[in-house]
Amino acid sequence: MRRRTLLTTAAAGLTAASLAACGSGTPGQKAEDSRAKSRTNVEFWGSVFTTPENAWYKKVVEDFNDAQEDVFVNYTVVPADAWDQKLKAAQAAGNAPDMYIKSGRLDTDARTGLLKPLDDLIEAKVFDEITDQAKEVSQYQGKWFGFPLLLEPQVTLLWDKDLFEKAGLDPEKPPTTWHEMFQACEKIAPLLKNGQFCVGTAGDPDTFGWTTVAAQQHVAGHLPVSDDWSKADAMDPKYEDLIGFYKTLQENKWMPRQPLGAGNSAQPLGEGKVAMLSQGSWAMSEIAADYPDKVKTTGMAPWVQNDGDLETSISTIGNMKWLIDAKSKEPEATATFFTWALGGDPEVLKPFFVDTQFTKAPARQKVTDVVNKDPKSKDAPWSSVVFEDIVPFCVPESQYPFDINAALGDAIQSGMTGEASPKDALKKANTEIQKVIDREDLAKAHKEMESK
Amino acid sequence: MSALREAAAAPDARPVRSSARRRDSLMAYIMLAPVLVLLGTFVVWPAIQAIYLSFFDWSFYTPSQFVGVKNYADVLGDDRFWQAIGRGLVFVVMTVPVSLVLSFLIASLAVSVSRRVSTLLKISIYIPSVISGVIASITFVMIYDYSGGILNALINVVGLPNQAWLGDPRWALGAIALPAVWLGLGISTLIMIAALLDVPQSFYEAAELEGASWWQRTRYITVPQIKNVLLFLLVTGFVASIQQYELPLVMTAGGPQHATELPNLFIFNHFRKDTYVGYSIAAAMLLFAVLGSISSVIFRIVNSEKLVD
Repeated sequence: MRRRTLLTTAAAGLTAASLAACGSGTPGQKAEDSRAKSRTNVEFWGSVFTTPENAWYKKVVEDFNDAQEDVFVNYTVVPADAWDQKLKAAQAAGNAPDMYIKSGRLDTDARTGLLKPLDDLIEAKVFDEITDQAKEVSQYQGKWFGFPLLLEPQVTLLWDKDLFEKAGLDPEKPPTTWHEMFQACEKIAPLLKNGQFCVGTAGDPDTFGWTTVAAQQHVAGHLPVSDDWSKADAMDPKYEDLIGFYKTLQENKWMPRQPLGAGNSAQPLGEGKVAMLSQGSWAMSEIAADYPDKVKTTGMAPWVQNDGDLETSISTIGNMKWLIDAKSKEPEATATFFTWALGGDPEVLKPFFVDTQFTKAPARQKVTDVVNKDPKSKDAPWSSVVFEDIVPFCVPESQYPFDINAALGDAIQSGMTGEASPKDALKKANTEIQKVIDREDLAKAHKEMESK
Repeated sequence: MSALREAAAAPDARPVRSSARRRDSLMAYIMLAPVLVLLGTFVVWPAIQAIYLSFFDWSFYTPSQFVGVKNYADVLGDDRFWQAIGRGLVFVVMTVPVSLVLSFLIASLAVSVSRRVSTLLKISIYIPSVISGVIASITFVMIYDYSGGILNALINVVGLPNQAWLGDPRWALGAIALPAVWLGLGISTLIMIAALLDVPQSFYEAAELEGASWWQRTRYITVPQIKNVLLFLLVTGFVASIQQYELPLVMTAGGPQHATELPNLFIFNHFRKDTYVGYSIAAAMLLFAVLGSISSVIFRIVNSEKLVD
C-alpha cells in the first residue's frame, strides 16, 4: 500500500470511528458500587428533570445509601425521550425496575396491574400527612399506588417584565383574559425582531393535549368524553372558542408555527424568544437555574382564561409520584427508601423545594411548613403566586388514556393552523375519541375504576 | 459454460459415493446451523409469538384476554393506519429515486476521475453512513430551527420569511426526506461503484468505436449491466425508506398533524402509549403483509435476470 493511500485510509477510519462514537454510549450505566454487594439491591429509574431536581435525586439516593446498611438503591437516569419505550420494553420482558417516577394519573396503570399497592408496605400514619390534592392523584380505588413527591401546576403564565415596560404595559400586571393577551400582543409585536414572538405555547398535539385539559374544563364545563366514558363529547362549540384563541395568536403571527423548544421547557423565555410563555410552574426553577439573569425580570401568574375567572379550573396539577413495580422482587426494601426519603424527616425533602425555587408544592404539610420557613423563600415572590393564586384553583389531570388528550390536541393544532376549520377539527377529534373508547372499552374500564 | 450446464443438468451421470455426499450434507448443515439458530431465535420464534399475541389484549401484568381478530379489525378500520402506509409510500417516492439517481451520478463520477479524487469522493460520501441517525436528526433539527436555524437564516438573506420546516405539514415530510437521503447515500453509492467497475470495459470501447454518446452508453450498456444491483438497491431502499422511524421520531415525533407519522412510527407511538399492545402487534403484522406484497410486486415488475456473457 502506498504511504498516501495508507494515510488517507487511516484518516478516514479515524473520522469514521470518531463519528460513530458520537452516537454510542449507555446513559445511566455506572460501575458497580462496593456497597451493593452485601445489601438488598433496589433498582430505581428516574428521568432527566431540571438541574436542581437532578442534583437532589442523585443526592437523596447517595444519602440513603450512606444512612443505612441494609438496602442499596441504584439510581439510573433514563432520557425523557426514551422513557416510554424503555420502561414498556422492560415491563414486557418482566425486568422493570423496582421503582420509578411517574407524572400523570395512575388509574390505568393500577387497573392493569402494573403497580404494587403501598398500603401494606408503608405505615398508615405516614400517609396520614399527605394533602388531599396529592391523595387524589396517588390513589386508585382507595388504595395508595404512588407516593407523591410534589404537586405542581402544569400551566402558568410567565412574562418578560422588561418587554412589557418597553411596550408601555404595566410590567406587574399580566393579562388575565384571552382578549387582554391579544391587546398586549398588539403593543409588544412591533418591538420584536425576526424570530421573536409575543407568546410561546404548546406547539405539538401531545403538548396541547395535556396542557389544555384545565382550559377544556374551564370553557366547556366538561372534558371531551361523557362522564361514564361511553361517548365522545368533543363537539361542544365552546371548544371552538378555545381553538379560536390559539388561531388568533397564530394568524397574527404572535406565536410561532413551530415549537421553539421542548414542550415542557422555559428555554424560549430564557433565551428572549418570547415575551410570554405558557408553562408549568417548574419553568421558574429552570429560569433560576439556567437563566439567572432573567429571574428579576420574569413574572409568574395564572394562565389567561376566556372569561378572566382565575378561580375555576385554571390549570391541571399533579406530577411526580414514586411507584413500586408490581413485579418488584424487593418491594419491602423499596418501601423503606420511600419512607426514608418522602415520608420521613422533612429536612430530606427541603432542599428539593428550596433549590427548585419554591415552584412546587410539597405533598405533606410538615414539609410545606419547613420549606416556608426557609429565608430564601422571601426572595421568591412567585412562591405565593404558585401556592395561593394557582394551586387552590387547579384540577387533577385527566384519568382517561392519553390518546383522548392527543385527539383534542390534534384538533387544536389543525384548527389553529387553518388545516381544518375548528368545527371540522373537533368533528375529527370526536371520531378519534370514540374510536379509542370503543377500542379500549373505556365504559367498562370506567365502571371498574369507579367500583371501590 | 456448456460443460458446466451439462454437469448441472445430469448430476447422476457422475458416480458419487453416498458417504461422501452425507459428509458434504453434514458439513452444509453445520455451516448453516449458526445462521439458522440465530434466525430461529431472533426472527422466526418472535414472529410466531407476535402472531399469537396479536389475537390477545395484552398489558404485560394481567392475564391476556383472547379477543380473536378484534385487533386486526381495529387496525384495518383505522384511517390513520392507512394514512401512515400512504405517507410511507410518498416518503419512498421522495427518497428512493433521488437516492438512486444521486448515487448513480456520484458513482459514475467516482469511476471516471483520478484515483486520488475518487478516494476523496468515496470517503466524503460514505461519512454520513457512519453517523448515528439520532445525531443526524438532532443536527437537522438545529438546521431547521424556526428561530435561529441556519436554513431560515439563509432564506432570510434572499428576503424570504422564516419557514416552519418541521412545524408546517407542507414541508415536514420533505424536511425529513433530506437527511434520510443524505444518510443512505454512502452505502448505495459504494454498491453502485462496485457494480460499475464490474461492467466489462470492452463494451464501452466497442460502443465508443461505434460513436455512441454518453447517454447511449449509459442507457444501452451501463443500466442493463447493473440492473440486478439497481433492483437490489430499489428493493432495499424501498423497505428501509418505508420503515424509517428514527428520523421522524427524533425530529417531529410524527407531527405536525401526523404529517411525518410513517408506518413504523405509527406502530411505535401506539406501542408506547396504548394500554394494551395487541393493536400495535396486529398493525406490525399487517405492515409486514403490505411490505411483503409491495416488494414482490417490485420483483415481478423489474425482473431479476442473470447476466450472460
